[in-house]
Amino acid sequence: MYFEPNEDMTALLSGLEQIALGEGTEWEPSGDWSRQVWSHTLDRTLDENGYYDAGAEESLGAIAAAAMIWRLSRLSVNIEAAASAMLRPALGEDLPRPIAVMTDRRGGAVRFLPMAKAVLRIDDDGVHAALLSDGDVRELPTINAYPMGEIVNDALEWRRLDADAGRIRDLWRIAVAAELAGAMRGGLDAVIAHVKDREQFGRPLGAFQGVQHRLAMASARLEPTYWLTLKAAQELDSADAAIALGYTASISTQIVYDLHQFMGAMGLTLEHPLHRWTYRLRHLRSELGGASTNLQLAADRLWRNA
Amino acid sequence: MDFDWSDDNRRYRARVRHFLEQELPAEWPEIARHGPGSKEQTEFSLDFCPKLAEAGFLVPHWPEALGGANGTAWEHLILGEEMWAVGEPRGGQYMNVNWIGPTLMRYGSEAQKDRYLPPMAAGKAIWCQGFSEPNAGSDLASLRTRAERDGDHYVINGTKIWTSYASLAETCFLLVRTGPLSAGKSAIAILLVPMDTPGIEVRAIPSLVGHGDIHEVFFTDVRVPVSTRLGEEGQAWEIINYSLTNERVGIPRYAMSSRVLGHIVADLKRQDRFNDGVVRMRAGEAAAACEAARLLVYRLVDMRARGQTPGPDASLARVATVAADNAVLDFALDFLPEFTTGNVYPEYLAHHERAIVAGIASGATEIQLNLIAQRHLELPRGPR
Repeated sequence: MYFEPNEDMTALLSGLEQIALGEGTEWEPSGDWSRQVWSHTLDRTLDENGYYDAGAEESLGAIAAAAMIWRLSRLSVNIEAAASAMLRPALGEDLPRPIAVMTDRRGGAVRFLPMAKAVLRIDDDGVHAALLSDGDVRELPTINAYPMGEIVNDALEWRRLDADAGRIRDLWRIAVAAELAGAMRGGLDAVIAHVKDREQFGRPLGAFQGVQHRLAMASARLEPTYWLTLKAAQELDSADAAIALGYTASISTQIVYDLHQFMGAMGLTLEHPLHRWTYRLRHLRSELGGASTNLQLAADRLWRNA
Repeated sequence: MDFDWSDDNRRYRARVRHFLEQELPAEWPEIARHGPGSKEQTEFSLDFCPKLAEAGFLVPHWPEALGGANGTAWEHLILGEEMWAVGEPRGGQYMNVNWIGPTLMRYGSEAQKDRYLPPMAAGKAIWCQGFSEPNAGSDLASLRTRAERDGDHYVINGTKIWTSYASLAETCFLLVRTGPLSAGKSAIAILLVPMDTPGIEVRAIPSLVGHGDIHEVFFTDVRVPVSTRLGEEGQAWEIINYSLTNERVGIPRYAMSSRVLGHIVADLKRQDRFNDGVVRMRAGEAAAACEAARLLVYRLVDMRARGQTPGPDASLARVATVAADNAVLDFALDFLPEFTTGNVYPEYLAHHERAIVAGIASGATEIQLNLIAQRHLELPRGPR
């Protein structure tokens, strides 16, 4: 039992950190105060340097993929990393990316579809993939901080993949948990910076105990999410995956509420990027059945047949 | 990273578990019902801890020269988990092995080590911790119990309160003020006071948490030699911080919560009530809270195993542990109403009562939140 990354993972995350802090990743006010900013530079850099394939390396695997997804989700800019880093290496398929993921449903709005080059479908029939071309997808208006779309081509060619749907769904649970955990951490970091800086009643907001305790509690609730997610990624155990996603999703709404509360009116604007994490979290909480479904699943895996 | 146990650690856990299955008497659940701080459990520890010592399960993490086996930080944690899972048969002696002993090893004089460590390692010593006072609880640094220097003695006057194990303890790990109140933390010393010293009076306070668990201790012109002082005058705060970090790490209460949760689920299944999706969802929620606490404590142990001193991470783990206690309690209260009635489920009753203590003892949750805010989030200090 040890919590330090191995040499290869340390090198990977160190390189990722440099890229994550590099040009094109920092939030800047955009002319139209857009609800989402897609970072082509970041995405291309990660792709060209093989980061999305790291999960296929024996010394890295799903745990490194989860740590990468978590780190990238802390950024206010948007890229499709979860499916590319977690699912593509596990499937052993050289799917073009970005990749959109549909689970247990055939229709409706799916994130990343408008720019996706491939779509994965994980349901009781197994795991299927389809390549996307112009005209296959219609972009949908959304308040979420993801590009959303729906498939409009009924004749899309789905190809069944040789993969265990249960295992791939568990990996997707872990990936979404990592996204949730990272986005909450990104929002928390932004709000911590704000309350250290913003003064009211002659002192920083962060010096008021009423503010401190709620942020400290948010931090205490958030801290396990990273470890639960990484443990699930390493053990690849179904109960661990359900616990990681169920716990992480279950705390997200309260944390989002507190973060906006402490940003005050600034948190209501599109000027500050907090909304980008918020509206990612709003969407992610609903993925894979949401908190309750996954917590129930955790209990089933732990006790139902015991 | 590796979140799995090594084969050595698995074998160690199996050995501890086997020992407990063999050695805990049939009446243990009824004794444990009174809680880890109770008089019943503390008395039991005087029979049981020598057996643990004999089997090498009391202080395996201590150095060999002091009766230990140079065990690893992980073995220490496994031992604590297994003890807590069955209700902590070490009673108050968990304090000795977790933090009083290691604190004496680090800061004690040779005479103090010679006098106090062997009985601890043999499972025959009961200590109490004289920290809180009627007007100094969370604000420990405002303590007023005075120790006036009189030649080569100190004369102690004051009152300690909410002191566990005091009625059975032979020695008190006592915090005293040796200078003016205005000097704050810098005028505090630690004295190791024999409880049979004339002038000490102990009164039990009726409490929610087991019979004879907490006490008031009055010190009236209590004379002890200067040689009872641990470290130097003014060094107490450094020593306490070292001790409390050990204490905060040392109680894997989530192990008890997890075990109780498993029993509740087994009862609900027997009653055919576990098919309800809401029940299962809430069971999963409680399990997730226990797992969250477990991983944060494991992270501390990992830091310790690598020679690092856990900082505010210990406070994060404490808050998560309290949340786990309460998540299990909430689950039980919602779905197993018989949880708190009668005496059918001794471990449930113990957990029910301990869940109230969880957020108060060894540094209230709000103190932990202060520490997280200041040391982990580095938020600015407010007015004091």
